[in-house]
Amino acid sequence: MVLEEEIPKFTAWIGPAFVTWLFTAALVAVLASALAWLVQSLAYGPLAAGDRVYRGVLTTLADLAGMSPRRIWALARLAIQESLRRNVLVVLGLFAVIVLFAGWFLDPTSVNPGKLYLGFILSATNLLVCLVVLVLSVFSLPADIKAKAIQTVTTKPVRTGEIVLGRMLGFGLVGTALLALMGTVGWAFVVRSVRHDHELVAADMLELKADDGSTSGYEGRTSLARGHRHRVEAGIDGVGRTDTVQGHRHTVRAVDGAGGRTWEVGPPEGLLEARKPLRGTLRFLDRQGKPSTKGISVGAEWSYRQYIEGGSLAAAIWTFDGVGEREFAAGLPLEMIVRVFRTYKGEIEKGIAGSVRVRNPATGLQSDPIYFTAKEFTIDSLLIPRQVGVTTTDGGTRQVDLFRDIVADGRVEVVLQCLEPAQYYGVAQADFYLRRGSGSFAFNYLKSCLGIWFSMLIVTALGVMFSTFLAGPVALLAALSVVLVGQFREFIQRLFESQVTGDSKLVPGGGPIESLYRIVTQTSITLELDPSPAVNAMKALDTVLLAPMRLGAALFPSLSALGTGDFLAGGFDIPFDLLGAHAVETFGYLVAFFLVGAVCLRSREVAA
Amino acid sequence: MHAEPGKIHGTADDEVIVAARNLSKTYRDFWGRSKKVALKPLDLEIRRGEIFGLLGPNGSGKTTTMKLLLGLIFPTSGEALVFGKDATDVSKNERIGYLPEETYLYKFLDAEETLDFYGRLFDMPPEERTRRAEALIAMVGLARDKKRQLKEYSKGMTRRIGIAQALINDPELVLLDEPTSGLDPIGTREMKDLIIDLKKRGKTVIMSSHLLADVEDVCDRIAVLHQGELKELGRVEDLLRVTDVTQIRARGLPPAAVAELRTVLEKHGGAEIEIGNPTTTLEELFLEVVRDTEARPGRRARPTERNA
Repeated sequence: MVLEEEIPKFTAWIGPAFVTWLFTAALVAVLASALAWLVQSLAYGPLAAGDRVYRGVLTTLADLAGMSPRRIWALARLAIQESLRRNVLVVLGLFAVIVLFAGWFLDPTSVNPGKLYLGFILSATNLLVCLVVLVLSVFSLPADIKAKAIQTVTTKPVRTGEIVLGRMLGFGLVGTALLALMGTVGWAFVVRSVRHDHELVAADMLELKADDGSTSGYEGRTSLARGHRHRVEAGIDGVGRTDTVQGHRHTVRAVDGAGGRTWEVGPPEGLLEARKPLRGTLRFLDRQGKPSTKGISVGAEWSYRQYIEGGSLAAAIWTFDGVGEREFAAGLPLEMIVRVFRTYKGEIEKGIAGSVRVRNPATGLQSDPIYFTAKEFTIDSLLIPRQVGVTTTDGGTRQVDLFRDIVADGRVEVVLQCLEPAQYYGVAQADFYLRRGSGSFAFNYLKSCLGIWFSMLIVTALGVMFSTFLAGPVALLAALSVVLVGQFREFIQRLFESQVTGDSKLVPGGGPIESLYRIVTQTSITLELDPSPAVNAMKALDTVLLAPMRLGAALFPSLSALGTGDFLAGGFDIPFDLLGAHAVETFGYLVAFFLVGAVCLRSREVAA
Repeated sequence: MHAEPGKIHGTADDEVIVAARNLSKTYRDFWGRSKKVALKPLDLEIRRGEIFGLLGPNGSGKTTTMKLLLGLIFPTSGEALVFGKDATDVSKNERIGYLPEETYLYKFLDAEETLDFYGRLFDMPPEERTRRAEALIAMVGLARDKKRQLKEYSKGMTRRIGIAQALINDPELVLLDEPTSGLDPIGTREMKDLIIDLKKRGKTVIMSSHLLADVEDVCDRIAVLHQGELKELGRVEDLLRVTDVTQIRARGLPPAAVAELRTVLEKHGGAEIEIGNPTTTLEELFLEVVRDTEARPGRRARPTERNA
């Protein structure tokens, strides 16, 4: 799983963030009032405009203070009834059809089918739910205004805030119900799709002989199920496990009965998990063994993973804090995602050999290397035992206790090295972690659905907000534009920075005008344009055009950033710190969209 | 009489409920250019307990005036005060009932749901909502159809549920925009009876109409608007009274007495305009026929002095 930024502690940022939010809200309110005064001044003169704006602010505040839950709920119920009248439940049928036929185009033999199925279900649910609430929310109020039904509502003691909030709540509840139903169906679909059983017959298990002719263990292969089979290794006691295929493995157990020995294969492990990792911080040593902030770039455009060279002193070192003996009494359950970059093919099925050592950050005492073979696309597990060997000064080996000699004040370092010359390991900070255990996958699924719920609420609020001052189709376009700008938030920010600083390497190709010019003239984006007044003018115009987009990118929500599907599909527990951050972000947007919607509707003549 | 701006004077029956001061409305286009002057500066006061009619042809500014009083649109100049508050003040709506020109309700609700919904908007507790809704549904004669969605209602039925929603909060002031529009003669009469009943219960009613007979039948005072301008304002009987004509109406006079009356008129120099049997209104005739038919089902029309 990719985790580009560390997830900060909720309690560490919520206070300052709230203050910033309040300050920004106040600033926006002041700017909006100033703009309103400016517009009103043109029609009524500065004094009358001031009076109008003042009264407008006062009545808006009074309206907000006078909101009634009963009226809000009445309007929410109306929105729900309207949704049902519009046959919103048809979307459930559409979802059912998608799920029914999903088996046709989802490959059960993929590297990790659990990830594939989860990704598909979450994406389909997210798209359908958000689309439905968007369409409902943008067309509802304009339809009421057009049909003049709003006149029988606004002539009752109804505050505009109640109309806006009632709709947000109503459509939000419709979306929630849809999400709950789709989520449940999706859950059943995923669980049923990945569940499978292998058979292992005694005839397929070979006895392994030791040099003295005694039985040392068993090995064999399971039957084919869902397009794959596993290699099995079992000890002399008949207990063993399969290898990891398609992101999972099985435990195997021999059962001796009257009819002879049979073998039982357990359910798949590791497919639908919620690992709870303890993550560390990463630093590197270069090929000479000197500290370095980065590893080697192997030319990949995406610089998430840094590489260390095999057969050299290059190493990747993780420092873990908070490693307690009580929690890890049996040793350190290290899990690793190691990418491999090969400069020559070698034995492709064998993997690339590497080693892991644990080190005391205070004394520098480190264990002897524990060897492993890195396999691409799977999570390698390695239990570092309580007793590890260390090389003594005289060249001998002695056993030391992990927590007494290696872990210092809960801190320990794990050193990764690639052993094969001219081959490389690629790692990122999130790729090595100590496994603290597992959470409930069902609960993790629920948490992932919360991410979709947040997106749905934002889309609903956005749609309702635009519908307070725009006609339905225009509101739909506006809402989609905001979502789109939000999706490309980081790109737009980098693009603007590139324009302002003139650093074309940051985002090659320039802004919209320059890009259009390059398309028409078929000029490569990597080629610098020759300086000329025309080029300068073009770049200046791009900067002007990008400025509002940059502002929008800073203000608009990024729905994809609220998604936690990667955690779920990757088999990781979704941290509450992240959920908390998403919840607060969502709430912030909801409040902002509600206020803008209420003010816009308040200042609109609904019967004009 | 003009009150101090922003204040409503008087008490009890003399209390001014609605006041328009220099109230005008000009519709503008997107660029702020004047598109249509819908209402020229209007000064108006409506007192508690009266039925006030806004009369005028289509496009005269009646509905605009009503929308301004309701705060549905904002004045270009002047102010509209309702219960002493600015018309855009939402709190005044607690005491108002409004029936729009077309009954713009939510067609997917049935009568009960409609009244329950509007009752909730008044923050009414559930028991009161139910009680009010039942009473109003019975009053407008929709008890048998209360479970049908409004989209299945005829125009007359929609109008009735419209008036029911306008009365859900037992308002002090009722604004009715073209209340008899789309109603058959019976419905029209019932509506007019209802308006008069509202007055008896101490309500203030403002209605707009271009149907002169309706206004004449029920209104205490009227304002005649034309091309957005107030042309006449006063009590109906005062405005309709023809001062230089004397009317004599009597029942059971023999022809000789009628001839004698003519002689008297000639003697005093009065020019005879008409002496004869008065005619009733078509509305009265229609209602009589309907009442008779309902009292005696199956009765056919027979030649009478009227239709022979």
